[in-house]
Amino acid sequence: MFCRELKVNFKNFCIWTIVTIILFLIVFLVYPSIMSSSQADQIDEMMKIFPEDMLKAFNMDISSIDNVYGWLKSEGFVFILLIIGCYSGILGSNILLKEESDGTIEYLGTLPIKRANIVLTKSIIGVFYITIITAIIGIFNFIGLELSGSFDEKQFILLSITPLLSSYIIFFVCLFLSTFTNKTQKMLGISLGVVFVSYLLNTLSSLAEEVEFLKYFSAFTLSDIRNVIINTSIDLKMVIASIIGSFIFLILTTIRYNKKELV
Amino acid sequence: MEKILEVKNLTKYYKDVLGVKNINFELYRGEIFGFIGPNGAGKSTTIRSILNLINKTSGEVLFKGKQLTKDNLELKKLIGYLPSEVRLYEDLTVKDLIDFHLKFFDKDFSKRREELVKRLKLDENKKIEDLSLGNLKKVGIVLAFVHGPQLLILDEPTSGLDPLIQQEFYNLLLEEKEKGTTIFYSTHVLSEISKICDRVGIIKSGNLIKIEPIKDLIDKSLTYVTITSKDCEKIINDLKLDIKDYKDNTISFKNFMESNELLKAIVKYDIDKIYIEPASIEDVFMHYYK
Repeated sequence: MFCRELKVNFKNFCIWTIVTIILFLIVFLVYPSIMSSSQADQIDEMMKIFPEDMLKAFNMDISSIDNVYGWLKSEGFVFILLIIGCYSGILGSNILLKEESDGTIEYLGTLPIKRANIVLTKSIIGVFYITIITAIIGIFNFIGLELSGSFDEKQFILLSITPLLSSYIIFFVCLFLSTFTNKTQKMLGISLGVVFVSYLLNTLSSLAEEVEFLKYFSAFTLSDIRNVIINTSIDLKMVIASIIGSFIFLILTTIRYNKKELV
Repeated sequence: MEKILEVKNLTKYYKDVLGVKNINFELYRGEIFGFIGPNGAGKSTTIRSILNLINKTSGEVLFKGKQLTKDNLELKKLIGYLPSEVRLYEDLTVKDLIDFHLKFFDKDFSKRREELVKRLKLDENKKIEDLSLGNLKKVGIVLAFVHGPQLLILDEPTSGLDPLIQQEFYNLLLEEKEKGTTIFYSTHVLSEISKICDRVGIIKSGNLIKIEPIKDLIDKSLTYVTITSKDCEKIINDLKLDIKDYKDNTISFKNFMESNELLKAIVKYDIDKIYIEPASIEDVFMHYYK
């Protein structure tokens, strides 16, 4: 079953990976010509008119976008977080539900396999593909940066790993939510909603102290890019929170799926 | 006879809507049990509850004396299931799908696989998405039979099959029966029931209204009677008959009494002629359907 799941989800993985790589390829090709030194000065001037909290929300107070690595640290990794987040959400919402919407669960459900094993196998596949897409994007950007000039390699590697922490949680939350419905269309909207609402909450939480508590409701809090840029390290608490959170949602999914009416 | 499957007080509600209520029956080793009923009577609900694809509201299912639960893999290995609508992984070829299926079982079933594919005239190189409804059904039959199950649960198995393959399928069923496999056969096709089943269960509006051996059902249940007599009016009034036709001192009616009981009841009247003909199995079923 593992090999079959690997094959079934390979096509979508390829599409997401290729589209993301094309996006960053364009950035690497176009960015140097946009960022001539005079334009960089103009952008720096323009940045000064933004409120400090706004700049902080996009990490623009601690990185300059006058080079491609600076852009990656401020905006690039936001894209990466959202892209991998969306991929994880859609994967999580589809990977179990597809069997039901395609009607193949009536066959799979009567085979000698425990429902818990179905959930576990599909979860492993999900985690595998999320890890691989993150690694491929990271490697591609690493090569791009190597060709574009000097950058902090250790910091970049840690930054590239960071999206995994939020993406795993998003995957398992969507996997869990998918056990409440039989319709993939409905879940597609919900999974994208989870990602964008989560990102919005994270951004809002960094704008003012009064709404800082919102970060506890956002998966993206776990991918603390700002901390990696400042300290060149990943907060261990976030790693533990991501692992425990994922594990809890995996258990909840298994319990729910065991009770679910499959047809 | 060895009991293979016991369904006890099986009840299923979909929220407030009744699926099936207090279904009780037993299947024995080597028998073919027909399960019939009109659309929406609860046939598929019963099957899906037995197979744990849906949750039972109450009741239990024992297979070989043990609770048939979702996670009892050893028991699940002994069951073959053919759904009414076969939905399989469309991206796979028939060969890949059978390979996938057999990986869940410990034994080598390559000979049986080869035999089934040959007898059902299946092209293993075709993709599932390219198969016609009939060929898809044939793949479903292979998947249900290939791992040598002790219990076969078949839901509308012959829909979409051409007459030649249907005949081959009946032969397969009879061979399985000879081997001791128990077969639960749900169908709309009434003629199939009399052809292959040993016993039949009739389900209507979620209730199992009758279980009888096929022979008894035909012998006992229903006859068509035609009587010619001057006392027709009296006979109709006294016996409260379900009259089909009445003219020229001749009445035709459906009779649900045993023949000797009927004769005893009418012996006191002046009878010129009496003709009793057995109803067809279709007529018997239609009587229960209505």
